[in-house]
Amino acid sequence: MTRAGWRRIVAWLLVALLAWLLLSALMRFFANRGPAQKVDATPQQLAQGRYLAAAADCAACHTAVDGAPFAGGVPLDSPFGTLHGTNITPDPDTGIGRYTADDFYHALTKGEARDGRQLYPAMPYVSYKTMTRADSDAIYAFLMNQPAVRQANKKNGVGFPFNIRSGIHAWNGLFAGAEAVPASQGASPAWQRGKYLVETMGHCGECHSPRGKLGQVDRDRSLGGNSTLGRFAAPDITPQGLAARGWDASGLDRYLATGVGAQAVASDEMLKVVGLSTGRLRKSDRAAIVAYLFGDKPPPAKALPMAATSQPDDGPAHRHYLNLCAGCHGRDGQGVPHVAPALHGNSSLRDADPHNLIVAILDGLPEHDLPGLERMQDMPGFASDLDDGEVAALVTWLRSRHGGQAQEVPPSSVAKLRKHQPRR
Amino acid sequence: MSATLLPMRPLTLNINGRSYGPIEVPEDMMLVDVLHEYLGLTGTRFGCGQGVCRACTVIVDDEGGPREVRSCITGAHWFSGKSVRTVEGHAKRDDTGKIVSLSPAQQAFLDHFSFQCGYCTPGFVNAATVLLEKLAKSPVAADRVEETITEALNPHLCRCTGYVRYYQAVKQLVLNTPGLVKENAR
Repeated sequence: MTRAGWRRIVAWLLVALLAWLLLSALMRFFANRGPAQKVDATPQQLAQGRYLAAAADCAACHTAVDGAPFAGGVPLDSPFGTLHGTNITPDPDTGIGRYTADDFYHALTKGEARDGRQLYPAMPYVSYKTMTRADSDAIYAFLMNQPAVRQANKKNGVGFPFNIRSGIHAWNGLFAGAEAVPASQGASPAWQRGKYLVETMGHCGECHSPRGKLGQVDRDRSLGGNSTLGRFAAPDITPQGLAARGWDASGLDRYLATGVGAQAVASDEMLKVVGLSTGRLRKSDRAAIVAYLFGDKPPPAKALPMAATSQPDDGPAHRHYLNLCAGCHGRDGQGVPHVAPALHGNSSLRDADPHNLIVAILDGLPEHDLPGLERMQDMPGFASDLDDGEVAALVTWLRSRHGGQAQEVPPSSVAKLRKHQPRR
Repeated sequence: MSATLLPMRPLTLNINGRSYGPIEVPEDMMLVDVLHEYLGLTGTRFGCGQGVCRACTVIVDDEGGPREVRSCITGAHWFSGKSVRTVEGHAKRDDTGKIVSLSPAQQAFLDHFSFQCGYCTPGFVNAATVLLEKLAKSPVAADRVEETITEALNPHLCRCTGYVRYYQAVKQLVLNTPGLVKENAR
């Protein structure tokens, strides 16, 4: 072909590309227009919407610390980069003010914004896809009647190639369709309701289910625990996993209502979940969540076994416990009310994975502001006081003495978590 | 809580440059109790007993320089082999043990009428002392003086005077002591 012929082809391709870019820009431009919506709702509808927004825990990602309600800006760390919750107040330009109820339902269940932009799967549309239209409409009505806040969305820190949002279409094709296989067995009305609250509204599996290499939730090992998302691990909350750590229905119900139970005190992300979501649910709905998590035939909570230990009671690990831990957790691990949780029988010490215990000892914990007047004081971190071997010995002693876990925790497990310690 | 007592273990402490012991101390006794009951060093205050109020703060000098440690939630045996300073160790004394002059932080708190009941004062003195010593090693930029002082004093609780006079005393001390403040970073 002649040189002029090549040029002509390249020129036409260029024109086609420009035309396509222009067309998509125009489409987005017009999609961003459209009238600002005004939604009328009765007080009962608004109350129902508020309740369902709590059940779906919208505020956890869409209300920033010290920020206006639902105005976005919450940073969400993911293995692919930092994302930010968006503004879902009815502001027409920076929020969802131009969304119709159809647009809202589409975004919630398909993960596509009104302008056709694909949302990152940090928005749990894969869980919400089974939300009823009525519930979506109620949440929509509630949000559209909140004060509009003009606050532009924050730029996301996702790097190439994960910032190409079209790639998420392919991801959706592969992973978004699968429904979670229930981790428990049941058929009762409470179990059915619990399934909807746990798998769809509460989207518990987004943190508590293991994920594959591409960040997809492994729906065959539903709620089996995930230690790769954040600094702390989300533990196994299958019936067997819960029972193995000593949880029973009444203990779990109390924990979800108040954040404090005999087995644990809610920390990190779960503290937010209790404060914004499970603690605000009706008794019957919380009971349904518990019924679903344990199944219609709950396995009995495992009694705390006395484990033999490689770390004796007069060894260096016990001395570190007396010197650095006992001041708040008590000499015998019994804890102090409103100060520090009991360690004896504590869920994190009974966990087969020592992840959370190690992280708590290395990093410490912030002060806990729990529902009602309950509080727990902050815990100092001991990363600079104890080396890997000392932490490992302390963790081994704690787990065997108070958690019934006899396995030796190697210093390498501590080293791995210390390496990823966030700078403060 | 079980009523059985834990065994005693011999403990040697280095406090304010002086060696104490070895004395027999229960394994699970906190430092503040040993200071009060065994050593007669009663200047350190026992406030909340759970590590919140900071009245019990003592100074530990190790490789990382001076730092604050809460003596009510830290076992006495943890301080074995470490160098500790308490509020009794700041003033200059003559050979008979009589106080000749107060430390700069102590004097500044008196000059500013910083405290009323004085229960939190030993903790504040130690916090201010640690801050001054840290700044002497690495001076703070002039525009960060206020937040640095706030950071240092914030954890300490005072229920009488509302913190302002403590803060003012430390601020004046930081600004008037040569070498603690450097020019703003550009």
